[in-house]
Amino acid sequence: MRQRRGFSMEQRKARWGWIFVTPSLLFFFVFSFYPIFNSFYLSFFRKNLLSLKPPTFIGLDNYKYLMRSSLFWQSVKNTAVFTVGAFLPLLVLSLILAAFIMTRPRFRKGFQMLLYSPAALSSVVAALIWLLIFDPRGIANQALNALMNTSGVNYHWLSSPGMLRLSTIIVYVWKYVGYFTVIFVAGIGAIPGSLHEAALIDGADRWTDFWHITFPLLKPTTLLVSVMAMIQCLKTFSTQYLFVTSGAMSQPIEVITLNIYNTAIKDYSIGRASAMSVLLFLVMLTFTWVQLRLSRTEEVSYM
Amino acid sequence: MKRLSLLLALVLVVALSLGAGAQKIIEITYWTHTDDNRTLIENRYIAEFQKMYPNVRVKRVVNEAAKMGDLVLTAFSANNAPDLFNLPIEQEYGYMMQGRVSPVDYAAIGVKDANALRAEYMPGTFDSVTVGGKIYGLPLEITNWAIYINKKIFRSVGLDPEKDYPKTWEEMADISEKLTLRNGDIITRRGFDFRYPYYLVSLLPMVEQLGGALLSPDGKKAIVNDAAWLKVLKFMKEWGPYGRNLGSPTYPAPRKIWNKDNNDMAMCLSGFYQQGRLKIDNEAFFDSNEWMVVPFPVFKDAVNDVRCSYYGHFLMVNAQAPKEKQEMAWKLSAYMLSHPMEYLNIVNIIIPKKDMLDSKEFKSLPYMDVFMDDMAKSHMVFLHENGYQFERFIGDAVQAVMMSKVTEQEALNTLRQRIQEVLDEQ
Repeated sequence: MRQRRGFSMEQRKARWGWIFVTPSLLFFFVFSFYPIFNSFYLSFFRKNLLSLKPPTFIGLDNYKYLMRSSLFWQSVKNTAVFTVGAFLPLLVLSLILAAFIMTRPRFRKGFQMLLYSPAALSSVVAALIWLLIFDPRGIANQALNALMNTSGVNYHWLSSPGMLRLSTIIVYVWKYVGYFTVIFVAGIGAIPGSLHEAALIDGADRWTDFWHITFPLLKPTTLLVSVMAMIQCLKTFSTQYLFVTSGAMSQPIEVITLNIYNTAIKDYSIGRASAMSVLLFLVMLTFTWVQLRLSRTEEVSYM
Repeated sequence: MKRLSLLLALVLVVALSLGAGAQKIIEITYWTHTDDNRTLIENRYIAEFQKMYPNVRVKRVVNEAAKMGDLVLTAFSANNAPDLFNLPIEQEYGYMMQGRVSPVDYAAIGVKDANALRAEYMPGTFDSVTVGGKIYGLPLEITNWAIYINKKIFRSVGLDPEKDYPKTWEEMADISEKLTLRNGDIITRRGFDFRYPYYLVSLLPMVEQLGGALLSPDGKKAIVNDAAWLKVLKFMKEWGPYGRNLGSPTYPAPRKIWNKDNNDMAMCLSGFYQQGRLKIDNEAFFDSNEWMVVPFPVFKDAVNDVRCSYYGHFLMVNAQAPKEKQEMAWKLSAYMLSHPMEYLNIVNIIIPKKDMLDSKEFKSLPYMDVFMDDMAKSHMVFLHENGYQFERFIGDAVQAVMMSKVTEQEALNTLRQRIQEVLDEQ
């Protein structure tokens, strides 16, 4: 084939590739990399968000302050409790739901749509709906009273520390379980049918097939979902923010992201908030790195 | 050649005439919070103003009141702020301290100097917006809160609202107990409930009634008079779901449901503006003569007769806006505020202009005497560069005693430690 202007086919393809990728890269640089680098830079400065004065370099003082701040450690604890509390049900429920959906091929699309719809809902709307449900006169108390055969008991969904934590976890699991179910459905769908057929011929029932064929081959998907869910949980913000602004107490649910928001926006301390963001970023980076390391050893081949 | 000269001359004449006719357009961005009544009249004022100054375009942007503080702050921190805005003074204070807003342009608003401006308004109006002798804002409203009562609910439990209304906080708790209806633990009708996020406006005065204060007079020490704070925290603990179960921050905002007259809220704390909103929300109730307004209560053993603090919304101008925009923004502010009676009658907000305050019409408005008497016994809301932060810390202390097992002493210790830490850092 004749080469145009001295470029090989591969080079031309690569050039078009760059052209197509450039807008996304630019977008990424402006809206992701720049804020990350800027946060990292600002974390070494004392800067009042409102002030026109240049920031003052204070080295690691923001980090030192955070290490001895009880509020910061409380928010770390709250984030950890929330992450563990939401992550496990998210993982288990989405796997169960995906396995269930795969056994119902006629209703697969409908179930997926139904489960995914909360994820498409704005977090603000979702939290507002659940605030109504958790209102002392709302459905949550009515349902629990009916279930426990009690009358007029207030289960303090928003007004006791433990129940408040549970409430935020419920909202989060409800919102994102469909999202992870869809990923699991895709993972299960990618397992060749011949493997299941072979197992059935060998006399395996559905249960054995799931535990000995589907589950082991789903490891990469499970790993992906677990890391994604964990990172998602670490970044949780809107549910806690809306609950707190609607009167729920902040102490049990002030997660790191909410602490970052309060420190920057309410206390004007953008340097300290940036230091917290950097620490959160490092934690998430560690999880991603672990996922990449583990995924290398967990690759599955159907050949 | 002659033709060419004529053509050139014609082009020159047209260009010059176009240049002379085209004035530079000044676009002013004005950010304010939601209020349908105010939007109605301010849109009219803006249209009139644009007729007076054809080269001015005003873009009025309405934001949800709860989000306004965050939006203005992020806009200022990104150096992309509106030219004109209003916020509660507690939030605006930081903008003055950090030099983000410009002093009032006296010439633009048609007064000689600061004293001439002060002379037009109620004494003390500009105290909170005066820094280094310069005034930084024009008051859109000055508001204090009193207690709105639904008389029907009072009568339904055998109380005479005219005589039995709560005068002290102790009476408030006892009367609320009588008015509260419950299904088991769940409250279906509250007697009264607080406006929880606004602790500097309504809770700090309760502490002050008992001789306490948030900061020492020199501003260096947090929490003055532990006994006063402990008593207020104990009162709130008893008010909450684990005490007498009279209310909680997690129930719907009282002033919103009070308007509906649905037999679920007997009393609420609100400003004069509540009447305007009541008229819109429930005209039948507004016209029914079944509601009344009484003063903010004081503790039985109060040492200071301090009522609910008053706060203001001030119109302020972005100091980074070009000079001609600043001048026009001040002119627009002055034009809008030159209609205090309309703001009062339609929006139910008080622009504290002397002429209006002294007028018969103003004094004859329903329960205006209650608000004015309370205002005379109160002071402007606590102002500090970190006031917003302190209010959050107070809120955490109140919520901790109301909704967890934290004791009043523990909550107070945490509050003191957190505020002191901020003070020590300054």
